[in-house]
This record gives sequence, structure tokens and C-alpha cells, in this order.
Amino acid sequence: MINKISSLLIANLPKKNRLERIWILAKTDFKKRYYGTSLGILWALINPIFQLIIYYFVFSVFFKNDVPNFSLYLFSGLILWMFISESNKKGMYMISSNRHLIEMIRIDKHDIITAGLVSNSLALIFNFFVYFIVAAFFDIQYNANLLYLPLIIFNLMLITYGVNLILSIIYVYLRDFDHFWDIFMIAAFWANPIVYNESILYQYKIVLYLNPISGLIINMHNCLIYGKSVDFELLQLNLIFGVFIFIVGIFIFKHHSKKVIEIL
Amino acid sequence: MSNENVVIKLSNINKTFRIKDRNTGSVLAKVSNIFNPNKSRAIKALENINVEIKKGEFFGIIGSNGSGKSTLLKIMTSVYQPDKGGEIKITGDFQRLTLATGFDNELTARENIFLNGSLHGLSFKKIRIIFNSILQFAELEKFVDTKVKYFSSGMISRLAFSIAVNIEADILFLDEFGGVGDASFRKKTEQVFNDFILRGKTIVHVSHELDTISEYCDRVLLLDKGKQILIDKPDVALASYRRKVKKDEGISLHTFLHNETTRRD
Repeated sequence: MINKISSLLIANLPKKNRLERIWILAKTDFKKRYYGTSLGILWALINPIFQLIIYYFVFSVFFKNDVPNFSLYLFSGLILWMFISESNKKGMYMISSNRHLIEMIRIDKHDIITAGLVSNSLALIFNFFVYFIVAAFFDIQYNANLLYLPLIIFNLMLITYGVNLILSIIYVYLRDFDHFWDIFMIAAFWANPIVYNESILYQYKIVLYLNPISGLIINMHNCLIYGKSVDFELLQLNLIFGVFIFIVGIFIFKHHSKKVIEIL
Repeated sequence: MSNENVVIKLSNINKTFRIKDRNTGSVLAKVSNIFNPNKSRAIKALENINVEIKKGEFFGIIGSNGSGKSTLLKIMTSVYQPDKGGEIKITGDFQRLTLATGFDNELTARENIFLNGSLHGLSFKKIRIIFNSILQFAELEKFVDTKVKYFSSGMISRLAFSIAVNIEADILFLDEFGGVGDASFRKKTEQVFNDFILRGKTIVHVSHELDTISEYCDRVLLLDKGKQILIDKPDVALASYRRKVKKDEGISLHTFLHNETTRRD
């Protein structure tokens, strides 16, 4: 099984500089997005910061809530959500916008999707870096539970990568799919405990089971802000979902990526 | 023809494209046409191509527009898949070279050398070693940190050439590679081709540029409307191609003029 998957991942292409190639594609993408502008990488922050300010006002002034450390709760949730929504959007266009590379240069199409994810991950790392600086001004006790964070991020990557693979294929077939996806993502935002207390979701457990991202955000809050252990039920569920969507993504991509080129 | 020497073997390659006349590439179109499914036409782009290319050979592919040259090249480089029953066997590492793909206009020449080189399979280490010679060959030393969007097309092609000479693959697919620019540029083209030949690379060259075809190619494949007309020495293939072009030209010019006169009446 593992052999099969790895052979799917590593197509019959020159492997010698694969990582370098992914890196330079990601770096180029990242550079073009942020460095050409005068504020540079700060743009990666400005969007979440403004959302943070808006939601903070709405949900702590108008609708009061009793979430401890609400600003950090909000900030970390937004960072994660922005990563998901931005990488999905980017991943969706990745195949169709890199048509010239796929047709003219011998390149593994996975590498293009991976590069998009790496580029977004750079912004994620930067945002977390800023988060930790901000969190230093709050009374936050970190403990060994923080070690769950890399696992959660890994889980996040699995899901995002799998979804990106699928979206990139769908978008070639259905060129208005991005509009549907936008609407879906607006709805999905509210299915996650980003701006409201996560205890509400525990009353509607079906949402927790159907939406793996909500579990990721809850577990991130637990280990990052509250120094608590993770919810193992959700963690298991999310990991299983992550592996599942990753494998499904790889298979769909493998099956369709050659056909898709002809209708690009 | 001994079998060990064959590095590219195409047997029974057919390619059919399914073309849809109406655009249904969207959710809304699919829903609104649910009782009116789109019919698709089959278009045969390639029919029964059989080619064997030996190691170290300079192999040309010619044909008029729409003859299937590019499709064949895309099948060879496994961008497209042939129809069922067709088989491609390529022994060795290959790269496809076109002028100015993989360049990013927003990046400088320096960044583009790394990007383009890396996309063509060169390691960063290797690129660092050959970096200066690439710039020298392209005569772009003064523009190393200039964004490529300010380059003339000649400068971009020179840059593409200089990277191309350093590509390490054994088999190179050249797509309309060369044949542009002034005399000094042509000199560069020759240099590049000679260098490829000296290093024993196998080359598949698709081009309209009949001069380079006749000068460098060992054998030439002539395609017409997706069919393999002949594979032969360049002079034979070119003669056949020129005859064909002349005939087609005569016909179309005749019908065109004829229509013109009838319309005037």
C-alpha cells in the first residue's frame, strides 16, 4: 500500500532536484505576492489583523462572550482559517494558471500543487511567529501539550493538500466552481469555533464530526492558549479524515491530471 | 537497426481529441443543459505513427500547421496520453526546450536563471557554477538584476539559449527552437546545436525552419493531417514537403481567387 502511494506521489520524472524545484516555485510565488509591494510580507498579516479587529469588536463589545483570552483565541483561529481558505483558493487555480509550465516543461503536476501549499505555509509560519510575539504580552502558560501543535499542523497540511488536489481538477472541468466554493467557504467559516465559544459546537456534535477543521481549531486552542491536552476523539477523527482525503486527492489527481491537460 | 540503440520508440500512436461544440465547462451550463446533453465530435489528430529514434540522432519533424507536430511532441513528452493501444518507450532522461517558457516576467534575469534552470532539472549547485558563463553567452552581464519584462524578445531568447546549452538530459525535444533573430543570433543557434551534437545528445526537433532541419537532421519525419507520410533523409523529406505545400497553396489560392471573383459578380 505504502509503495503504491509513494509510486503515485513520485511519478516517473527526474527526481534529482525535485525539492529544489518545489522550493524555487514556492519562493517565486511568495515573492511575487508580497515582495513587489512596499509593505512586503506585512500584507500576509494585514488581512487577519483587520478581521481580528472587526470580529473582536463585534464579539466582545456587542455580543459578549466568556471565552478566556478571547483576542488570542480569535487571532489563532483566524490565522488557521486564512491559511485554509487562501491555500484552497490558490490550489484551485494552480493547474489552470500554470498551463504553460505543464505543457512546455517537463514537470510533475504534484510539484505545482505542493509549491502552492509551501508558499502559503511560509505565510502561515510568519503569522504564527507574529502570534507568539503578541501572545508574550498575555499571561499564557505553555506546557508540554504545546507539542501537539506540530501534529495539528501536519493534520492541517494533509487535509489542505488533499483538498487542493481535488479542487485543482474540478476547477478545470467547471470554470465557475470558484464562485460556489467562495459561498461554501463563507458558510464553512461559521461552522468553526473562530469567533464564538467552542462549547457551543459541543452541543451540536454533528458539526464537529462533519467538519474536521473545527476539531483542528479546538485542539489548537487547547494546546496553544489553555495549556490543556487535546480532545483525542477529535484528533483521531481528524487524522483519519486527513489521511483519507489525502489518499482520495492523490488518486483523483493521478486519474484525472492527464486528461485535464487536454481541456485546459 | 539494433534494439539497444533505440532510445525513443513509438508504436501505433493514435490520438483522438473529443471536441465539444458548445461550452459546458461550468456548473451553470451543466445544470441548464441537463436535458440537452452536449454532443462531442471526435477529431483524429494523429493516426498510426510508428517511429524509432536512435541514440545520438538529430531527428526532425516537419509538417504544415495542424499536421499534428505539436500533438506528437506532447505525446512524446508525456503531456498527452496516446489512445489505447499506442505505446511509447523512452530510454533515458529527457527535457523539452522551448524559447522563453518558464521565464517569469516579474523576476530578474538572475532569479529567472535559477527558476528556469531548476525547472529544466539543473541543481542549484550546478547553476551557481555555470551562472557566469550563462550570462556571458547571453551577453546580458549588465542586466543581471533587471526584471525580464524590460527585456527585448531577442534578449529573452538569448537567455533561454544559454540555459538550454547547459541542460543535462540525454534526450532533448526542441520546439520551434531557434531560427529567430539576426545573423549573430543565428551564430548562437548553430553553436548550441553543434554543442548538442558534440555531446552526443539525442535530439527531436520540431520546426518550420527548414534550413536548420536540412542542415542538422539525420532523418526527418513528415506529417500531414495527422498521418505519417514518410521518414527519410532531410533532402527527400523536404522535397516532398515543398511539393505538398505548393500543391496546397495552389488549391487554396485558386479557390480563394475563384470565390473572390464570384463574389464580385
